Amino acid sequence: MIARPAVEASGVSKRFGSRDALRDVDFIARHGQLHGLLGPNGAGKTTLMRVLLGLVRRDAGSVRLVGRDLDAMSEPIPDRVAALIDTPAFYPYLSGRANLSLLARLDGETRTRAGAIDRALEQTGIEARADDAVGSYSAGMRQRLGLAAALIRSPQLLFLDEPTSALDPAGARDVRAVARRLADEGAAVVLSSHDMAEVEELCTMLTVMNDGRVVFSGSVDELRTLAPAAVHVLRTSDDCTALSVAAQRFAVKATPIAGGGLDVSAPIEALDAYIMGLGRAGVAVRHLERRTRSLESLFLELTGHTSPDSGVPAPVDAEQLHESSVAS
Amino acid sequence: MSLRGSVTVAGVERSKLLAQLKVRIALAACAISPFAFAAAMRLQSNLPTDTLFGRSVTDSGFAIPLVVLGFAALWVFPVLAGIVGGDVFSAEDRYGTWSTLLTRSRSRAEIFAGKVLTALAFSATAVAILATSSVAAGALVVGRQPLINLSGVVLPPGQATARVVLAWVSVLPPVFGFTALAVLISIVTRSSAAGVGLPAVAALVMQLLAFLDSPAIARQMLMTSGFDAWHGFLTEPSYFGPLLYAMTVSLLYVVTCLAVAYRLLLRRDVGRQ
Repeated sequence: MIARPAVEASGVSKRFGSRDALRDVDFIARHGQLHGLLGPNGAGKTTLMRVLLGLVRRDAGSVRLVGRDLDAMSEPIPDRVAALIDTPAFYPYLSGRANLSLLARLDGETRTRAGAIDRALEQTGIEARADDAVGSYSAGMRQRLGLAAALIRSPQLLFLDEPTSALDPAGARDVRAVARRLADEGAAVVLSSHDMAEVEELCTMLTVMNDGRVVFSGSVDELRTLAPAAVHVLRTSDDCTALSVAAQRFAVKATPIAGGGLDVSAPIEALDAYIMGLGRAGVAVRHLERRTRSLESLFLELTGHTSPDSGVPAPVDAEQLHESSVAS
Repeated sequence: MSLRGSVTVAGVERSKLLAQLKVRIALAACAISPFAFAAAMRLQSNLPTDTLFGRSVTDSGFAIPLVVLGFAALWVFPVLAGIVGGDVFSAEDRYGTWSTLLTRSRSRAEIFAGKVLTALAFSATAVAILATSSVAAGALVVGRQPLINLSGVVLPPGQATARVVLAWVSVLPPVFGFTALAVLISIVTRSSAAGVGLPAVAALVMQLLAFLDSPAIARQMLMTSGFDAWHGFLTEPSYFGPLLYAMTVSLLYVVTCLAVAYRLLLRRDVGRQ
């Protein structure tokens, strides 16, 4: 028997005034997976999370969390669903520990009392400041406290909205470790980010959003196979000759950059051969630098940031994208 | 929505309130100010003769809580009602904690009910402290002499105590009405300043409207009229009609304000848009 997904959202739409924040969004996240929710600022990632958690009323669509239909705003989120949305906020006149204690009381679970709170404080590295008033915490510490507040719910489903945005590198590493551990223990972790590298490092599944729509949904591996070649900036002693050498090679696409140099897009083997070919043609390579990684290139393409004439891409799943990629 | 969930939320809200300095100061002021008033009356030669029972404050300790009651009805009760009622929802906006609160295992209905219960309980507690302190101040500073009521009948201490307690209990319905109004303002404006201040402004406006040449029924529809309902307990024979009006009117305010407030909270989108 296949376990039900932790999150099943179908046809979710939301308008704020005249702006479509979400348009017919389908979203599925499964237990044991780290699911990345990727998109530029304003793509709709946070709004989608808020709709899934019942914080924002959806105009259309259905949402099911850990097997339970979420009826818009009238029900609490199911037990063992937790979230860290934006920079989490707490009561500044209370200590971190007192805040967690109040939240645990709201959950009404005796298991979330003292022991679990201490464990969560330890896991998130704020036990030393746990008895200080939250008003004295930095944004990073509040983010850690937010994660602790999520952990005391022993989540089977955890939403993390840009959880490392206010953290130093060590803090970001700790958060990623916690997310990975929870997924290893069978929880579904939905992590939103606009940082492709973070999502690529952590997640196995990925949903890319742009302008309120899903423009890709599938595994990171699927996306990787579809990704175009990385783009490099090349400066040579003779850009004209370099351009004509590129034109002779099928796998290499070179375009001049205003002010000198070329944008070169090619798989790594073809790039190697092209650089050697330049040497044979008497062209000196003065500078070669990777501008975008391959997945980043695809992400930018999907979110309409590379080709100005492409407009907003239509929603596609991995299969459709693969077909169009092969055809081109 | 479960009763247990609402009570849980109310317990959490109570813990938050007790941790706030302003709440402790307000309750302390309720406890101390009647003693200060009684002491001042004892020391000064001028009496508040334009206030009901003002002439009796040095003759009977039971007059002290009645004078305090008449004075509190002007603006103290609406302010007390606003201190928690006008802040209990908007504080979540001020601290940005709605997302934190609504991602726990409590529904919006439970959170609403728990917060409203807390606001009503605070208002009742503040009135109770003020009443107890006033009665104690009168008894300790002036004494438990018999009280002459508004019809000139002498009430022995036991009877006077019962009437004074009943008088204080009678202001609870309009206090709850102002608390509900503060809750509504708190949710609509998302501003604690408005939530705390506007109920007092509304009370002043109602008191001004009471002076207008309008039908009696219109004046009775003003919540502030309920603060005078106790006058009927201190006459011979006693009359309770104004109290029934006050209870009905206050109930109307409570139900209307809370129904609108609940509807607004239920439909609110939480977070940046």
